[in-house]
Amino acid sequence: MAIRKTVLVIDDEPDTVTYFTSLLEDNGYDTIAAENGEQGLIRMDASMPDLITLDVNMPSMSGFLFYKSVRDDEKFRDIPIIFITGVSHDFESYISTSREVPEPEGYLTKPIDPQKLLSLIESLIGATG
Amino acid sequence: MELPFDQMFESMPCYLSVQDRDLNVLAGNRLFREHFGDCKGRRCYQLYKNRPERCHVCPVERTFQDGKMHSSEEQLIRQDGSTVSVIVNTTPILNESGEIIAVMEMHTDITEIKNLQTRYEESQARYRMLFEEVPCFISIQDEDLTIVDANRLHREAFGNGLGLKCYEIYKHRKEACRPCKVLDTFRDGQVHAHEEVVTKNDGTNINALVLTAPLRDLYGKITNVIEISTDITQIRELQSQLTSVGLLISTISHGIKGVLNGLDGGIYLVSQGLKKDNQERIEKGWEIVLRNIRRVRSMVLDILYYAKDREPNWDTVSAMKVCDDVFDLIKDKAYDLGIEFLKDFEEKSGDFEVDEAAIRSLLVNLAENSLDACRVDPRKKHHRVIFRMKGAADWIIFEIEDNGIGMDRETREKAFSLFFSSKGVTGTGLGLFIANKIANSHGGEVSLKSEENRGTLFTIKIPRKSTMKPTAEQAEKETEATEIGGSSNGHQEDSAGH
Repeated sequence: MAIRKTVLVIDDEPDTVTYFTSLLEDNGYDTIAAENGEQGLIRMDASMPDLITLDVNMPSMSGFLFYKSVRDDEKFRDIPIIFITGVSHDFESYISTSREVPEPEGYLTKPIDPQKLLSLIESLIGATG
Repeated sequence: MELPFDQMFESMPCYLSVQDRDLNVLAGNRLFREHFGDCKGRRCYQLYKNRPERCHVCPVERTFQDGKMHSSEEQLIRQDGSTVSVIVNTTPILNESGEIIAVMEMHTDITEIKNLQTRYEESQARYRMLFEEVPCFISIQDEDLTIVDANRLHREAFGNGLGLKCYEIYKHRKEACRPCKVLDTFRDGQVHAHEEVVTKNDGTNINALVLTAPLRDLYGKITNVIEISTDITQIRELQSQLTSVGLLISTISHGIKGVLNGLDGGIYLVSQGLKKDNQERIEKGWEIVLRNIRRVRSMVLDILYYAKDREPNWDTVSAMKVCDDVFDLIKDKAYDLGIEFLKDFEEKSGDFEVDEAAIRSLLVNLAENSLDACRVDPRKKHHRVIFRMKGAADWIIFEIEDNGIGMDRETREKAFSLFFSSKGVTGTGLGLFIANKIANSHGGEVSLKSEENRGTLFTIKIPRKSTMKPTAEQAEKETEATEIGGSSNGHQEDSAGH
């Protein structure tokens, strides 16, 4: 039996968290949820995910800040990250101006196409379950 | 062939007469007699001036006195009563001993020339009047951009700038603007149009639609350029109201995307629940659908509320809390940009009566502006923005100070104008305009001190008790008016609800 892969879903919107975790679990992934970047880092210390979906605008610690921390940390830097945001221009300007961090593995805008999200995850970490 | 003198005298196509010292007309040629009648025994001033006495200045008398030729311009009255404008030339007639025995006077008819001159002067005056009274700012500039003429409205708005450069009086700059539409017109002879923010003599800024057109000499060479500017400030203000709505829509579009995502999530759970006959999932999904529909409704109401000229939503709030919220909102962005963001808030600053969301938006706008000023400044290694707040007896005073690029005089003067942006393509020209509008709606003000390459200090003064807030009595009247005005809408909504 194949080992189930784990996805960490970080979003401050509870409905989005419910949606993404249900969708992923229905498709054979385990999930962990966090409502901001700071909580995301705590969850990662407890259990290492195989992939992270990440919102941008969140209180306490924004997606950008979380992304930079993960990329700067040797332990986590290879975990694929998919940005999922409603503010596309913020994301694009961040990526084009910030030369200190590599580009993320994926980027989707809300509302997402669920099939697109699943194929992207599968292409990054393979099918699970 | 020798022509007889008297025949030539008779045929001359002008008025010729000969007068003695007493101004008796001794002889007149045919044209003279035809127009002024028989001259014998009559004096010149009686004949063609209808005067009983001699004129004060008489060229004939002067020729008798000094023996020289004289000329003047006169108006004569013919015997039919019509007048004729003439140039008078006098010359002495001498005897063999060289004594002046008479003076010959020649009148050349210049009535046509006079009439043309009058019409020319009238037409000049009419065109000048049009130029002066057109309700636009008009200036004529030469190739060095010196203002050589300007109409009344222009002089009233910008002072008597004749001889000065256009950029000195409109923009308070030391060098020409780039690009310059006047120079473009000099170059290509075409009409150019553009929009500018210009500063009047009294310090107020106006949005102007500027048109430039060439003025050519008889040979087609462009000698000057006429610049006609129309004040479109009111149009821009109207546009700003529409833009505010647009801005709001763009801001909440982020929220709408989130709502759509939530709805998708709810629908997903319901459909999966139905497929798997899982009642718990269906209920959970349906809850999400309902919650997100409520969010859409609330957003639509917000848009409708902002679409009207929004009155502040007055509330008594702690200045400290507002500042902490703003600081928390900005600090991540500052960190991402590598800018030090410091705070210095007076803890006992107390409360003030404001529209909290509006004041927060004002402070965020100015703080983001300061971050941008640091972000685009390549001259310094270390950038910092300091956010201060203190309470005075009647005011809460905020300061946002940065060590970014700073502003030149033109940017300082236009910083609060709508659609003026010094940030090139990245600026919308809205941020500071809206910040200023919010302060004004609270009876407060935003001012700035800035120096190029040194940095900028924004000072925002907001009264503790707003003078703009309607009194209880006014508020009551407004409520009554709204109730009366809104009753039909209320009924419609009610009936739609049923």
